[in-house]
Amino acid sequence: MADELLRTLSISGAGMRTQGNRLRVIAENVANANSLATEPGDLPYRRKIITFKNELDRNLGVDTVRVHEIKDDLSAFGQRFDPNHPAADENGYVLTPNVNSLVEMMDMREAQRSYEANLEIVKNAKNMLLSTIDVLRAQ
Amino acid sequence: MADLDSLTLFGAVKKRLSWLGQRQEVLAQNIANANTPDYRASDVRPYEFRELVRREQMQINMVRTSGNQIEGQRRAIRDYYEDHTIKPYETTPDGNAVVLEEQMAKVNETAVSHRFTTEIYRKHLGMLKMALGRSGS
Repeated sequence: MADELLRTLSISGAGMRTQGNRLRVIAENVANANSLATEPGDLPYRRKIITFKNELDRNLGVDTVRVHEIKDDLSAFGQRFDPNHPAADENGYVLTPNVNSLVEMMDMREAQRSYEANLEIVKNAKNMLLSTIDVLRAQ
Repeated sequence: MADLDSLTLFGAVKKRLSWLGQRQEVLAQNIANANTPDYRASDVRPYEFRELVRREQMQINMVRTSGNQIEGQRRAIRDYYEDHTIKPYETTPDGNAVVLEEQMAKVNETAVSHRFTTEIYRKHLGMLKMALGRSGS
């Protein structure tokens, strides 16, 4: 039984690790929300998306979650009229990154909630282990 | 009284604790995958009386019978059956069907049950000690 609870800790640990990775990607997106191109024809920063998958961990013998891949968001760039910018095209428009800070904030909140849920599991499993050990204590 | 497991209550407590441990593992898996596309939550089948009388192991791993065979995927052996939730409360557009609140409620239920079961064990042991003439709790 203790074996299962110890595996629980590893599973939740994997969950927390992936949510941490997700937060890193979000931070990258937010930090680059204003990264424009420097020459006409160049592209600005492209938003990144992280995806998860559930895969067998051969050491543990159970499925744990891990990062599947970090892909580029291929949606259209925004445009801004700024003729003086070095990257402006012949009409005076500059391409802006396809990062929506509201979407990123929502994503961040979700990552935070998922992280907290995993943390709660770790606490719970720890308490269960402790109460099992308590049985051994002298009465 | 060579073996405490032969007493019904101790045997029951032992099996119940292992069921709760496995359930906690399954729930941890669900929560870790709360954002994995196409992941469906699962749960251990409810603990029933027949689990008390069941003796055999449920899962078996693939075995190599000659050196030329490739070993199959080895998963940890689990004692109790697991099912996917058939009608999830909600499914997100990416196909994920884990409801975090529902899973947290189950986790707490499991923790309370675990506490309850260890408490029963302690009490029963105390009663035995009392019968033996030592001061039991």
